[in-house]
Amino acid sequence: MGKKILLIEDEEVIIRLLSRKLSGIGYEIALAMDGQEGLDKMREQRPDLVLLDIIMPRKGGFEVLEEMRKDDRLFDIPVIIISNSGQPLELERAKKLKVSDWLVKAEFDPKEVVEKIKKYI
Amino acid sequence: MTDQTGANNNSGLAAKDELASELDNLNDKISHRDMDLVRLKEEKDAEVRELNEVKVELEEAKSVLEIKVNAKTRELRDLTETLERQVAERTRELQLKVEESENSRVALMNMLEDMEDLRRRAEEEKEKTLTIITNFSDGLLFFDVNDRLSLANPQIEAYFNVTKEDIRRFIGKKIADMQSVGLKSLVDLMSRSLQKISRKELFLNENLVLEVSCLEVASRKTKIGTLVIIHDISREKTVERMKTEFVSIAAHQLRTPISAIKWTLRMILDGDLGPINDEQRDFLDKTYKSNERMINLINDLLNVTRIEEGRHLYNLVLKNLEDVIESLATNYASMLSQRNLTLTFKKPDEKLAPVKIDVEKASLAISNLIENAMKYTPAGGNIAVEVAQDGSNIMVSVKDTGMGILKDQQNRIFTKYFRGSNALKMETEGTGLGLFITKNVVETHGGKIWFVSEEGKGTTFFFTLPVAVEESKSNKL
Repeated sequence: MGKKILLIEDEEVIIRLLSRKLSGIGYEIALAMDGQEGLDKMREQRPDLVLLDIIMPRKGGFEVLEEMRKDDRLFDIPVIIISNSGQPLELERAKKLKVSDWLVKAEFDPKEVVEKIKKYI
Repeated sequence: MTDQTGANNNSGLAAKDELASELDNLNDKISHRDMDLVRLKEEKDAEVRELNEVKVELEEAKSVLEIKVNAKTRELRDLTETLERQVAERTRELQLKVEESENSRVALMNMLEDMEDLRRRAEEEKEKTLTIITNFSDGLLFFDVNDRLSLANPQIEAYFNVTKEDIRRFIGKKIADMQSVGLKSLVDLMSRSLQKISRKELFLNENLVLEVSCLEVASRKTKIGTLVIIHDISREKTVERMKTEFVSIAAHQLRTPISAIKWTLRMILDGDLGPINDEQRDFLDKTYKSNERMINLINDLLNVTRIEEGRHLYNLVLKNLEDVIESLATNYASMLSQRNLTLTFKKPDEKLAPVKIDVEKASLAISNLIENAMKYTPAGGNIAVEVAQDGSNIMVSVKDTGMGILKDQQNRIFTKYFRGSNALKMETEGTGLGLFITKNVVETHGGKIWFVSEEGKGTTFFFTLPVAVEESKSNKL
């Protein structure tokens, strides 16, 4: 069975495109539409990697990261941020929260996301 | 008597005889008296003579005395005159002396007054300086040549929540001995010593972020102590955070729709969503490129570096510049092949000394130069990037075989919004900010930038960055 990726993202087009791309090459995809749902699914399903958006309803990406780093069970799951933001201060904050990579959506496309994922799992 | 004569004839005779004898006696006596008188007269005369003699003598003596008296009087007068003259002279001398001493006294008084004036002025200056220090908005700690605290202004009390008594207790102490709950964070930040630090951040709480600098103070090249300056940067931090939040939201709002378009088009073009015909592919490809242009425009708009024009450095780290350039160069492979250009990178065999840079800003400065070189070099050309150590600097050069910069426009090339007229013809897109930002970034890092260019042959840009001096890694510039 393929590795499991949890995609936490609120933008429908991105969800559909990424799910299609990733499942097309054999990954198992779990979805969450906001941060809280993402954390719940993480605890429930223990994915191999998390793709995480930053600006989301209910609970944003940084809050998710902070909770993950406090939770022993979630501590070592690699996280790739896919966001449309990405300023120096945000990158710095993400680095402190042990984020593996930060991809700005407008600068990357699904193919490149796949390449990044392959670096970590 | 006659009656008595007759009667006493006999007796008369006797009386006659008696009378005669008496007469004789009387005559005798008279003659004696006469003799006596003569003698007396003689005696008296003699006396008178004697007296006259005495008188003459006396008169002589008197005149002699008068002469003597006169002489003495003259002598005395002379003496008096002399004395008076001498007294007058002495008096004058004394007066002069008095005047002199009066002058000296006045001079002395003046000197004393001047001294007093100087003292007062020095006092005033000291007072002024102290007032400035006391009212200075930054916190100041001054340590003497023996590194002992000699002065702390009230801001220190406010920043670190210590009392005047605490401060008084620390006067004369070394920094490592200034242990109190409030000051601990500062003492720890400074590694308990007065080493030179520059604008090191000290985060006390959400509302109070301080910036600590420690520098030696010298007067006429002699060290007089060490000054620790504590500057409140809470407001800057808040503005920085607000700016980040604003740009973050703007980026999200603007990029979300276009990245959805980008991803959709990309997947359709890659065949992920099923087959498409050639005409569809052509349209979608053109749409994809337009969308990319839109993304670049938004990126330009949101580029924080552009907003602040490269004048602020955030994350200073020690880095080898050749590593930064090498990783940047790999980004250009597709652009180079599209434009039929080559890029060569030359670095020394040994590792270069590290520089202290804000990697993101420095990368932007270098990519601006490489991208410019690519934009303005015709197909078949070469871009040569070279990095080398030049004394206490690392020097980078980016040489192209492009169109060059017109001679009469060379002095304006680093000006904001300026674009060369030949560059405008070749490449219509561009903001004219690239070189302006690059120059700001290089200079904010303490480096220099310049170029040589010949029209139609090419341009070489050079810049230097100073080699990092040994200092704690987390320090800011």
